[in-house]
Amino acid sequence: MFGRILALIIRYKTISFGSFPRLLSIFYWPSVQILFWGFFSNFLIENNTTPYIGVLSIILSAVVLWDVLFRGQLGLTMSFLEEIWSRNLTNLFITPLREYELVFSLIIISMLRTLIGLTPAIFVANFFFDFHLFELGFYLIFFFFNLIAIGWSIGFVVSGLVLRYGHSFEELAWAIIFILLPFSCVYYPLDSLPFIMQKIAQIFPPVYVFESMRKILIDNQVEFQQLYRIIILNFTYLLLSVLFFLKMISSSRKKGLLINQGE
Amino acid sequence: MNSFVVKVSNLVKTFDTKKIIKNISFNVNENSVTGVLGKNGAGKTTLLGMLMGLISPSSGNIEILGKNLFFKKNEILKEINFQSPYIDLPKKMTVEQNLFFYSRLYGIKKFKDIINDLVKKLKMTDLMKKNYGSLSAGQKTKVNLCKALINNPKLLLLDEPTASLDPETSIFIREFLLDYQKKNKSSILITSHNLEEIQSICSKIILLKLGKIASNGNLNELLKINNYSSLKDFFLGQG
Ligand SMILES: Nc1ncnc2c1ncn2[C@@H]1O[C@H](COP(=O)(O)OP(=O)(O)OP(=O)(O)O)[C@@H](O)[C@H]1O
Ligand SMILES: [Mg+2]
Repeated sequence: MFGRILALIIRYKTISFGSFPRLLSIFYWPSVQILFWGFFSNFLIENNTTPYIGVLSIILSAVVLWDVLFRGQLGLTMSFLEEIWSRNLTNLFITPLREYELVFSLIIISMLRTLIGLTPAIFVANFFFDFHLFELGFYLIFFFFNLIAIGWSIGFVVSGLVLRYGHSFEELAWAIIFILLPFSCVYYPLDSLPFIMQKIAQIFPPVYVFESMRKILIDNQVEFQQLYRIIILNFTYLLLSVLFFLKMISSSRKKGLLINQGE
Repeated sequence: MNSFVVKVSNLVKTFDTKKIIKNISFNVNENSVTGVLGKNGAGKTTLLGMLMGLISPSSGNIEILGKNLFFKKNEILKEINFQSPYIDLPKKMTVEQNLFFYSRLYGIKKFKDIINDLVKKLKMTDLMKKNYGSLSAGQKTKVNLCKALINNPKLLLLDEPTASLDPETSIFIREFLLDYQKKNKSSILITSHNLEEIQSICSKIILLKLGKIASNGNLNELLKINNYSSLKDFFLGQG
């Protein structure tokens, strides 16, 4: 089992980090976003447009944490789509690889890609804006795992859809995050949304993560009930999404999509 | 003696509402080369797909190497392999990376030695550091074949293995396969539209016609009984 998971991780490592443009795409965006939002927040602060000095820390934390979700999703989806694009599914699925091993491998590679991609961004934030993400302390780790888990849930759903229903769903790999973004309350509190949007937002876990983040940074308070809710929601969504992914694989077997999957 | 590497009974596959494989049963002998023939769309690839667990049958039973495919799939998959020019390996990795990757997936110990040996026999040493995506069709076939032999399969499934190869390379591949089969006493199930090829390497054939078995048996006997001088005449007469 570990041999096969390792095999996949080496494979995804090779394709993710194996060439300069691909490396750049993993590293570049998170850092650019930090610079962009950092300078913008500084501008607001210097012009006294905002009375609140902590705004920089809130915005940058939000940027980094949102990127955890985004990277987590992309890292998982892109690794799986790579198998479809390279028409490698047939060969892959006739090895003794088990489906849960594929699931674990995708999760691990997504984690590695996210950590590696975000590390420079955190240094950039530290260097230019004297921003210390670790202010969030233990909760940073908690938020990290919960956000990346949301990314995985989305990733498994998108991967399953592309496998089963084809290339038309590929766009979703990029778009779905932006559909979720306004409902996630990354940069603003939940009550600033219109009522209907609030109700929708509350179905998904990201909103609770970002609300908790602000609570900690602004009021220095932790709402444990919120944290439990995050865990329960996340666990449920991740479980359902993995089941969905497995279901899509099995339905692809019925439909004969794993062989001769020509373009 | 007389054991079968493949036992198929009452196999049916329906895609949407169209019946593609219509209740077929057959066995494949140990230590044999069997050709699966049939016109385009007869159901050959679908059949191979079901034998590897890639396509789930609508009904029927498949036993491979004495094990039930439905219950023991992973055990069976360790012992079989597949090659087809229509199926690729990862393009963005080198040939070597690809072969290492698949060795690990098959859990092969000391795979570097095994790969070295295969690579020499297949005369593809110069391809090892190249990106798989940059290879020609014939070179890809060799690499795919190397991947297909990496776990020393007891049953090797080949879907038109020599399609798109020049005559010299196809003869090389053909002889290589025969040699491999004899040495390892494995079984090969091969589809091809090249009837000369089938006639030269297969001892048995299964002829599929619109998802049913039209003929099944010893190649030479079938030709004799039906009074055909070549497989081509037979195919045109029966297929
Ligand atoms: N995934 C699928 N969904 C629906 N129909 C399919 C699917 N795969 C194959 N078919 C149909 O099943 C029939 C048999 O296809 P198959 O690929 O098994 O034929 P084949 O004998 O391998 O043909 P060829 O010699 O052209 O490779 C064809 O009519 C094909 O259109
Ligand atoms: Mg075919």
